[in-house]
Amino acid sequence: MKFTSIASKGAKELLRDRRGLVMILVFPLFFMLVFGFAFGGMGQSNQPHDITVINQDQGATLPNGETLNLGNNFTQVLKDVKYQDSDVNIFQVNETNINQADSLLKQRTVDAAVIMPENFTESILSSASGGTSTTTVTIRGDTGYIGFGVSQGILVGILGQYQDDLLVGIQSQLTGTTVQKTPQPIESQVESIPGTETFTNFDFLAPGMIVFAILLLATTVAAGLTREVEKGTLARLKLSKMRSFDYLFGNLIPWSAIAAAQVLILLIVAVIIGFHWQGGLNSLFLAIVVGLIGGIASVSLGMIIASFVRNERQAANLGTIITVPTSFLVGAFFQLPQVVIANFGGQSFQIYDILPWTHVLNALRATLTYGEGWNDIAYQVEWAVVLTIILFLIGVVLFSRNRLRAEN
Amino acid sequence: MIMADVIMEARDLTKDFEDLRAVDNLNLKIRRGEVFGFLGPNGAGKTTSISMMVGLLRPTSGQVFIDGEDVNKLEKGTIGICPQELVLWEHLTPRESLNLMGNLYELPKKESEKRTEKLLSDLFLTDKANTQVKNLSGGMKRRLNLALALIHEPEIVVLDEPSEGLDPQSRRVLWNYIRALRDDEGKTVILTTHIMEEADKLSDRIAIIDHSKLLRLDTPSNLKKEIGEGDVVDMKLSDPKMNQEVMEKLKNLAEIEAVTEVDERINIRALDAVGKLPVIMDRVEESGVQISDLSVRQNTLEDVFIDLTGTTLRE
Repeated sequence: MKFTSIASKGAKELLRDRRGLVMILVFPLFFMLVFGFAFGGMGQSNQPHDITVINQDQGATLPNGETLNLGNNFTQVLKDVKYQDSDVNIFQVNETNINQADSLLKQRTVDAAVIMPENFTESILSSASGGTSTTTVTIRGDTGYIGFGVSQGILVGILGQYQDDLLVGIQSQLTGTTVQKTPQPIESQVESIPGTETFTNFDFLAPGMIVFAILLLATTVAAGLTREVEKGTLARLKLSKMRSFDYLFGNLIPWSAIAAAQVLILLIVAVIIGFHWQGGLNSLFLAIVVGLIGGIASVSLGMIIASFVRNERQAANLGTIITVPTSFLVGAFFQLPQVVIANFGGQSFQIYDILPWTHVLNALRATLTYGEGWNDIAYQVEWAVVLTIILFLIGVVLFSRNRLRAEN
Repeated sequence: MIMADVIMEARDLTKDFEDLRAVDNLNLKIRRGEVFGFLGPNGAGKTTSISMMVGLLRPTSGQVFIDGEDVNKLEKGTIGICPQELVLWEHLTPRESLNLMGNLYELPKKESEKRTEKLLSDLFLTDKANTQVKNLSGGMKRRLNLALALIHEPEIVVLDEPSEGLDPQSRRVLWNYIRALRDDEGKTVILTTHIMEEADKLSDRIAIIDHSKLLRLDTPSNLKKEIGEGDVVDMKLSDPKMNQEVMEKLKNLAEIEAVTEVDERINIRALDAVGKLPVIMDRVEESGVQISDLSVRQNTLEDVFIDLTGTTLRE
């Protein structure tokens, strides 16, 4: 069990190098604070907002026998509406059902969901004829998310304008005259997706920051392994009866423990500064397991980096060049445009999904932010495990070939 | 030399680093139980040769055999290497470091602990056995560096510039320990050094290497005999520009064996140099030049090196 000796050595080195340990643990905390505030006000102007529409409108038949579905009409209006003096659409609209809409909202694939009720057309027609019937359009989303706030504001405005224009048009069609004052049949209500009533933007960012911290481990691991090469201690180990497995698996253990500790520490700090942690101890346990998987993926990436660099500085530089963009690619800070490349079991597989940390992040968000259990994150965890094993094997092969054999 | 006596053999060993040839066609045999010295200036190719001979560096061409077996197929643990640099884990203690290596060499736990305590004691590290390496003095670190090469009781011990940076007292402790490795434990010790005295006092045989090539391989006494018996008069003239003229005159003296210029000084080798000093000084004065510095010493390996390369050992 030589790997236990290597693991023990690694753990002692990590724990006794207090300055290094503080850097490993505090650096992500600093980012958690800075990025949390910095990205809180993030928004994009003149860019289409992604929304989804659930049209439950049953429509109605007009006196002339023609059928009318104003739900479809309003959906088309949302698709066509553009920014003032611009060709850019205000919304990127897709149509779906309630269950899928919640999933899209939780992943922040869409900013808001518009739900038109069954009596949408009927109520508007009734009102245009002088009736008092009303219909309620629900604007659903994460009320703490700034993207939702922006989309919801625009939607309310468009809905009001639509209502005014529509009533005038219908009255004109039905009676040949327009009435100046009619009851307003369309009401709007804002509804939070379950569990997000008190959310802030930070609730979405915090799991991203944890994944960012886990990803940064790759840089630290790469620098640590390269230091061992540079100092010659690896050559000393190579002369012993230690196998590649002993060295790499032995190093994996303390670093994975650091990843688990990071999940715990960052979560505590996040909760202190306002993160609405859901799911209790069960979600904490799941998050630590998921964090461990992410940690192993990062250690594997660190091995790959250490296989190619010549010195510790190069390892730190290359590690940063790789991990920071990767953290953006996995959606640690904001959602990227959808780029679906395949479908597995009815689930779309995006280009970012080839990175294990994407699944780690999705699983962490699901369990920590939305309090979901094992069944809900199993798909993401399975992908994270598979991709991490692949990455680890690549790391083992490259590091063994480039560092654990006789040098050229 | 019968084959059983040969523990390590390098055949046509060459190493190129891009355009630089670091080791050029090295052929040598090292005998079991001897202290074998690699002597040469820094950059001569000693460490590169050693790295290939222990299997850490792949040669561009050539092979290394240990007990007749290719070094790459050798069972791990036959060789213990004490590198030139301090190769230590700063955050472990000496005891932890030794036990770690003992475990990695698959020593039984009790045997590893026993061996650890003996090495700590032999190398005067017991008092600091539980102190993190980062807090040890330079001499202690160097002794631990050596201990780590010996924890598994290897048959061959490779010491790469072991005295580098040691004070005279620590150097004496080290030299005695190296002799004990050979005399008491029967180890084969391969030593690289650029310190003449170290090579001379410790080595049974010495390979002189310069500019990637093996120049000579023999015992220290044979090497010194090769360039002639006697003493060396080391002289500096007030005007070094006159060196060549003076050297021509000295070469004509029948009593003189050789005259060479080294770093603007004149080295005159002769039997009973002290008795010949009046004649030598007369010839120098005939040239109308003053002697600003003069000393007489015994023939050393340095003189052998000068004779072979025309230069002193570069630091």
